[in-house]
Amino acid sequence: MSRFFLWVTLLIVVMLIVPSYLEACPACKTLDDPIGKGFNFSILFMMAMPFVVFTVIGGTVFWHYRRASRKPMD
Amino acid sequence: MAQNNVDVRERPPLSNARLAILVLLGAETMLFSGLIGAFLVFRVGNVTWPPPSHIGIELPRVVTGINTALLLISGYTMFQAWRAIQKNKVKQLRNWLLITGGLGLLFLGIQGSEWVQLIRKGLTLQSGVYGGIFYVLIGCHALHVLSAVIWLFTVLGMAMAGRFSAERYTGVDTCTIYWIFVVALWPILYVLVYLS
Repeated sequence: MSRFFLWVTLLIVVMLIVPSYLEACPACKTLDDPIGKGFNFSILFMMAMPFVVFTVIGGTVFWHYRRASRKPMD
Repeated sequence: MAQNNVDVRERPPLSNARLAILVLLGAETMLFSGLIGAFLVFRVGNVTWPPPSHIGIELPRVVTGINTALLLISGYTMFQAWRAIQKNKVKQLRNWLLITGGLGLLFLGIQGSEWVQLIRKGLTLQSGVYGGIFYVLIGCHALHVLSAVIWLFTVLGMAMAGRFSAERYTGVDTCTIYWIFVVALWPILYVLVYLS
């Protein structure tokens, strides 16, 4: 167990000393290139979309229920 | 407590049909997000757009602009159809649905003729990234307009058979939401693909 923690600590130290190994996306390393910028725009756009979709659906459901609760009982 | 009014059932604030169409539109939004994301990679990734291999090919911006206006008008007419059935005006509903369907078909016809001209100029699905992303993105939207038109004419047929009233119009309701989605999506695609 202690050997496992030793290896994990060593790995973290190596990653802190050489942070370029942490970059998982090869395109992000070349952000000055147009293709890197293209990927970046696309990733940010697609990352935002699920939040937009859930907000719109959740907001609509919430709005319907709130409107129904405000209506006077017949 | 249900005493005399046993038949009166409590309606949920948001109907199942509306919830289903919302979930469907959420999935559709994600589909178009992926396609727009792919377009952004190619558009931002290329310094010159269209790429040098397609320099002579111009997209028909003015005609498509007019087509965009037609589709936006169809959104308004569809909204009027929805308003008409809420007031129990079935004849008006039929007329507005007919106008909306006609505008949808006109939009598809104009877009089809544009595509024929572009193919003649050499912009095809195989001609490169520019042609590929153009036909996939715009074609996917055109398929959605076509399915919306089919749905709309089905609703029109049901309206002619007297299946809708002010109390019962789920078919019109869901079709209107889908149509408005398809209409609202188009200006975004137009600006991205034709004007950027």
